[in-house]
Amino acid sequence: MTPRHQKEAAVSAAALLAAHPGATQSAVKRRAIRMLRSPGNLQDSPFIWLAPAFAFLVLFYTYPLLDVIRLSFTNASLIEPDYVYTFNSYRRLFDDPNTLRSLKTTALFAAGSVTLQLAVGMALALAINAGVKRHLAGTVAVRTAILAAWVVPGVIVGVLWKILLSSSSYGVLNYWIETLSGQSIGFLSDVDLVLATTILANVWRGVAFTMIILYAGMQKIPAELYEAAVVDGAGAIAQFRFVTLPMLKPIIFIALVLTTINSVNTFDLILALTGGGPARASEVVGLTAYQQIFKFMNLGRGAAIAVLLLMVNLAMTLVYLKLMRADRVTE
Amino acid sequence: MQAIRLSTFALYAVFILAAGIFLFPLFSVVSLSMKTADEVFAWPPALLPESLNFATYRYVLQETLVGRMLWNSAQMTFFSVIGAIVISAPAAYAFSRFQFRMHKPLLLLLLVYQMISTLVVAIPLYRYFESLNLLDSHLGVILVYITVEIPFTIWLLKGFFDSIPQSIDEAATLDGANRFQILTRILLPLAKPGLAAAVIFNAIAAWSQFIVPYLLLSKPEILPISIGILNFAPGQSEGEVTIPYLAAASILALLPAVLVLVVLQRFIVQALTGGAVKG
Repeated sequence: MTPRHQKEAAVSAAALLAAHPGATQSAVKRRAIRMLRSPGNLQDSPFIWLAPAFAFLVLFYTYPLLDVIRLSFTNASLIEPDYVYTFNSYRRLFDDPNTLRSLKTTALFAAGSVTLQLAVGMALALAINAGVKRHLAGTVAVRTAILAAWVVPGVIVGVLWKILLSSSSYGVLNYWIETLSGQSIGFLSDVDLVLATTILANVWRGVAFTMIILYAGMQKIPAELYEAAVVDGAGAIAQFRFVTLPMLKPIIFIALVLTTINSVNTFDLILALTGGGPARASEVVGLTAYQQIFKFMNLGRGAAIAVLLLMVNLAMTLVYLKLMRADRVTE
Repeated sequence: MQAIRLSTFALYAVFILAAGIFLFPLFSVVSLSMKTADEVFAWPPALLPESLNFATYRYVLQETLVGRMLWNSAQMTFFSVIGAIVISAPAAYAFSRFQFRMHKPLLLLLLVYQMISTLVVAIPLYRYFESLNLLDSHLGVILVYITVEIPFTIWLLKGFFDSIPQSIDEAATLDGANRFQILTRILLPLAKPGLAAAVIFNAIAAWSQFIVPYLLLSKPEILPISIGILNFAPGQSEGEVTIPYLAAASILALLPAVLVLVVLQRFIVQALTGGAVKG
């Protein structure tokens, strides 16, 4: 509350008291509440206030969502206006060995991204936390560098890493690797390596998020717990294991789910970095849908894959909501 | 004392390593963007360009559509961010100040919306927008951006409104203010840090949008930069010499977002650490 508003509130209460001598403070408050809730006023229905937002959501979110489900049962294409209803999209989806493969690729991509983002994010959060506590110069600069990667658009992250890891003449990194080990690494051309490369680029971009929310969680751990641990003779590692980690558990779970959802939905970065190749070795589900639609103009099959992605998203959202509820209870 | 000095040393080692890992990709692309064709083909590759050469940037801005695309991105980002605030603020007010039966289910529904990939929603939009005559128009794209930004903005602003005591509303009511005036003249000014956070996060998200404009826009001169870059990539235009131009265009594309971050990072960290993420 700003001083100005405090003053205004006091003045209005005083005015009301003057107009109604004998009224008590609580009567003034009751009257104010009654005025806020006076019936018959259009402004007093919450739905008037909610209407614009939910109109947008229904028109541009709910309707397309239902439409994608409907389209997944058609043979619609991006070029032909006519279509008929059919189960073929799903039949072909389940017959196609590539569906299983892109689901597996997505799972590996997400698992690798999430594990690294949590581990590296935790290490960075601990380092930044220690740096802030000791007033080390440069802590904010390092934090800014990490956050900078986080705001780079996905497509650009893909382009940056493609340039960085290139085995062409301008690929400085690969030149160094070659000088040191006698052999360059096919980050983008080796079928066995390319998924690891996409994970690396995704972690580079996304780790700032886990770092920041874990760092935020660390600020809420009472200092007495660490003092008690020190009295008990706990060193830095024991403090982390018996104080930091258990206290951060709810936040770690939330970070886990949010980064999983983010990773499963990531495909613009991979599109720019590898295009899903080589030999579809880095093709995640989002990319499969994208290619069905834009390469093969097959809206129906693309929609069926999107519905698959939707199911995964909804399942993970349910887990997230469960965790949030559990977190509320423990608070 | 010895132990403290040793761990400070270790911390600095971690800091330098982290700064290196996070800045090196950016640095190497900036370096490449300033190289001439000869330098690009030179072997061994040099870490630094021979001179601070901005010719590629000049070329990219003057001779290609990149400047136009940056402007397109800026416009779409600006209008979607403003639109999202205007649409979300009343809803956040309702969730903060009213009790009603659908209160919790609707709030949770917003979370569900937020978790669903935009790809899923975007796929049917092409036909839908064709029938609405909104294809190849910035307006259509902005409407979708606003929708994508709404759930997060409502949650964020609701959190900030909740922290403003109801007694302020009551005092304003006694002064004769109606609910709309309470929202616009009292709650929103008091929730400035929340507004700032919403603007920053939504702007960064809008600047990065990919699939929605990819689907809805096709004319090169109205594309945002995130899609322009993809068409700029060598492989589509063949020939390695385009690579410094691609590097320059990429740097131009990420610069606005990174600048916003560097200048406003205090707000970003505040918003992220203030429980906004937890909802």
